Amino acid sequence: MTRSEITPSPAVTVPRSEAEIAARMKALEALMIEKGIMTTEAVDRLADIYENEVGPQLGAAVVAKAWTDPEFKARLLANATEACAEMGIGGLQGEDMVAVENTDTVHNVIVCTLCSCYPWPVLGLPPNWYKQPAYRSRIVREPRTMLREEFGHDVPDSMEVRVWDSSAELRYMVLPQRPANTEGKSAAELAELVTRDAMIGVAPVRA
Amino acid sequence: MRVDTTEVGDARRRVEQLLTELPRDGQEQLSFAQPWELRAFAVAVAAHQNGLYDWSEFQLALIGAIREWEDSQRSRDEPWRYYDRWLEALESLLSGTGTLDGSELEHRAHTILTTPRDTDHHHARRDPVAVDPAH
Repeated sequence: MTRSEITPSPAVTVPRSEAEIAARMKALEALMIEKGIMTTEAVDRLADIYENEVGPQLGAAVVAKAWTDPEFKARLLANATEACAEMGIGGLQGEDMVAVENTDTVHNVIVCTLCSCYPWPVLGLPPNWYKQPAYRSRIVREPRTMLREEFGHDVPDSMEVRVWDSSAELRYMVLPQRPANTEGKSAAELAELVTRDAMIGVAPVRA
Repeated sequence: MRVDTTEVGDARRRVEQLLTELPRDGQEQLSFAQPWELRAFAVAVAAHQNGLYDWSEFQLALIGAIREWEDSQRSRDEPWRYYDRWLEALESLLSGTGTLDGSELEHRAHTILTTPRDTDHHHARRDPVAVDPAH
């Protein structure tokens, strides 16, 4: 099959208005449903799951458990996919997950340089800025500067910054550092402190 | 430094701007900017779950659509919209498997666009819309 055969239409080279592209998507969905490829209910259910149910609160629970259970943390760092499965967390784009741990000397940040690979089961779907060309290219070229200028996250020069490129084969999440003065908090209370941005690696966790 | 005033230089600066300016306000914090984007997402996952393609095939098509856009003139003229690329990837995969006919899609999209949204709501309906007669 050549590229020209699979290119949907010549109109694709013309920028479409929001109304045109919305109509095109509506048409595509209607045709798939009429052909019996999928049902409206299945599409609605998936939309609901990824809009409302899968989200960074799941990753936050994983992080909080790792902070409070050293054996779980060891399992998470050894095999994040299996450790998340222990908590009933897994699914599409979560088949091969790796958790990278922030320490006093290393700060981690994740990106997908080619598209938007992201560990959906623990973080939900990525925010728009994660998919922007600006983030995908600059975080690799000058991570320390970008973290400071765009995210207000000042990583001290004494710390190493590691940028991890997620791909279709392997997706990363950051295990942030537990903030100081949180000794008395339960895992549920700790989970409330963990943000999506902290698990991407563009923000610290604040107590 | 010499300011490059050629068309190519201007285009290069605009691409550079796209690659360095990262908007992060409001909608940039969301996963979906428009309702159709969520539908496009869900339809792509549903098609995968129903065996039309491996997820890795979808990801490759998406990477290809993004790369093609970034390398093309369009990246200088159009704002970046992730789900436009997503829809291109979805269309090309479904067309490639013979599931979707491009001209049928064009035709249906045109019909949707030219049908007024409230076609049936402009007039008062004073009769029952359906009647199941007594037997």
